[in-house]
Amino acid sequence: MRKMGIREFLFIVPILLLIGIFSLWPVLQSFTYSFFDFQLNDRTKSGLYLNERFNVDLYNETSLYIDRFISQDMETISDEEDKESAQEVIDQLANLNEEFSNEEGVITISGEQKEQVESVYKNADETVQNLADEYELQQEENLPLLVDDIKNSMIESNFIGLQGYKRALQDHFVLDALWHTLVFTFASVSLELVLGLGMAVIMNQGIRGKGFIRTASLIPWAIPTAVAALMWSYLYDGSAGVVAEIFANIGILDRPTDLLQTGAGAMTAAILADVWKTTPYMAILLLAGLQNIPNSLYEASSIDGANKVQDFFKITLPLLKPSILVALLFRTLDAFRVFDLIYVLTGGGPGGSTETLSVYSYKVMFGQTNFGYGSVVVMIMFICVAIISTIYVKFLGTNIMDRN
Amino acid sequence: MANNTEANKKGFSWPFWGMLSIYLLVVIFPFFWILITSFKQTGDIYGNNPFNIIPENPTLQHYADVIFEKGIFTAIWNSLVVSGVTTIYIVLVATFAAYAISRFDFRGKNILLGIVLAVSMFPQMIVIGPIYNLFIDLGWTNSYWITLPYSSITLPMAVWILVTHFNQIPLALEESARIDGASAFQTLYKIVFPLAAPGVFTVAIITFITAWNEFVLAITINSNSEYHTVPVAISFLRTQFEILWGQVAAATTLVTIPTLLIVLLFQRQIVNGLTQGGVKE
Repeated sequence: MRKMGIREFLFIVPILLLIGIFSLWPVLQSFTYSFFDFQLNDRTKSGLYLNERFNVDLYNETSLYIDRFISQDMETISDEEDKESAQEVIDQLANLNEEFSNEEGVITISGEQKEQVESVYKNADETVQNLADEYELQQEENLPLLVDDIKNSMIESNFIGLQGYKRALQDHFVLDALWHTLVFTFASVSLELVLGLGMAVIMNQGIRGKGFIRTASLIPWAIPTAVAALMWSYLYDGSAGVVAEIFANIGILDRPTDLLQTGAGAMTAAILADVWKTTPYMAILLLAGLQNIPNSLYEASSIDGANKVQDFFKITLPLLKPSILVALLFRTLDAFRVFDLIYVLTGGGPGGSTETLSVYSYKVMFGQTNFGYGSVVVMIMFICVAIISTIYVKFLGTNIMDRN
Repeated sequence: MANNTEANKKGFSWPFWGMLSIYLLVVIFPFFWILITSFKQTGDIYGNNPFNIIPENPTLQHYADVIFEKGIFTAIWNSLVVSGVTTIYIVLVATFAAYAISRFDFRGKNILLGIVLAVSMFPQMIVIGPIYNLFIDLGWTNSYWITLPYSSITLPMAVWILVTHFNQIPLALEESARIDGASAFQTLYKIVFPLAAPGVFTVAIITFITAWNEFVLAITINSNSEYHTVPVAISFLRTQFEILWGQVAAATTLVTIPTLLIVLLFQRQIVNGLTQGGVKE
């Protein structure tokens, strides 16, 4: 094996760039999002702002009006002391104006500047309150509102730390979504394993028409999930759907409409559609594993007088275990992040009863444009995925990566 | 083949064929029913006998509707472009990377492999927010730039399959080429690439199918109907107020044809790819 020089390094530059920019950076970015109250539809929160910011334009406009209104009332203010404090407010505002004279729009400010703005606001607020109590001001109603705008030109940081996670752990939408995801994953993957294993064993018997069976098995896997989902939503339809009709006729359902319009029905429908799409794929994966088991083992066991059931449990299953675990790992992860199928088939309904973590996080991000909280849900999903993979890798015994 | 002999000895058995038939029936039935529905009049799809197997008055109206009104061919074209471009650059990038991982000794190789594996495992939803914001900032929404983030779903699988494949090609040939004075690129071009061609082809097919089926990125980033890919265009046939099942059926039939062709022509490569990427050594 040759050492990597600069020329050899060029081989991996493209993959480093692609994975770095379009896979790793987004993950880190999502992680960052989850610590902010990041909402695209709210101007004060439509970015990641670690520092306080200051809206210079709003401040300039506000100070201009306060200056003008207080000056108008200078005649009315009789007491010298009051006059002085009124003048002080005007001066302070002008000072601040001076300081930000080169800036425009929304800028980040230092802690010192923040305190300065706050003290100016506090002073202006007290003074205006005082003046309004003592005298008949021309803009008595508008002035306090204007003074409030000094405070409003300060935009708080939207960094919220772990609060998003705290909220998510108490949010019943998240907990329900997690539950639906677990139910969907467990039910579909175990059905797929049992049926897929059965089909693999059957296909492994030397039979004619293998090519046809393989083609037929690959098509459900190969068509887009969104297309399969729409297809099934027609078959499941309460009035025109043939599968719903069959289910009602054999007594599984009271009425055909129950399939997509009750929570349990819709979840079952989604699971069955997934089983339809993925069992053939599972069968093909396991078939490859079965074909690696040497025939001599079965011959030896038949000489020893073992029957087929014993063969299956004593030879097939143990030798197939690595294949089964790898197939299970990838299927579990796929099922756990299910999106297309449910989004198109039920949209998460009825009444959120099929909303999985993917669907919920997508709705929060792109329905409510709340990227911060949506990212929190995504990160929770990420943690679950990490746990699932760790468990499987432990079960696999050897590290998956040793294969290379 | 593993245990043919025994099965052949016993001949075929009824439960065996019964289960196989049920399996095939369940797998094929939905396609069959969609095909029938696509020729039915709208009235017959809902009417008194919605479950007739033979369409009473066969019609091509739904096909005309999805082709001329819903522009299903635009979606098919977009999908071809997006999946084609993705396949080409992913195969190139993955081939170089997998060759380097398989043949060169470098620090951080296991980290790179670990990252590739991790990327194939994490939920796609995790990249969607930042990618969306990036594309908004760059003005890349509703364009074919969407092929770039497709790398996060296609590249790990491609690299994984190709590394396994390269590891199976003996080093001896390359070493003799090197002794004859060939550079790394020359060796790759003239010796390794021809030998790796079947594996590369397998990766191309799997990448194409994966890109063709992608949904979340496409519906989020290319929301403009001019840039809809097949899965997105199909999902939009389900509007909030009415669902025209005839059109759904016709569109589904049309967009399944390319997939069907690929599966028919390349099933061997697909099966190889699936098993190499997952189960087999």
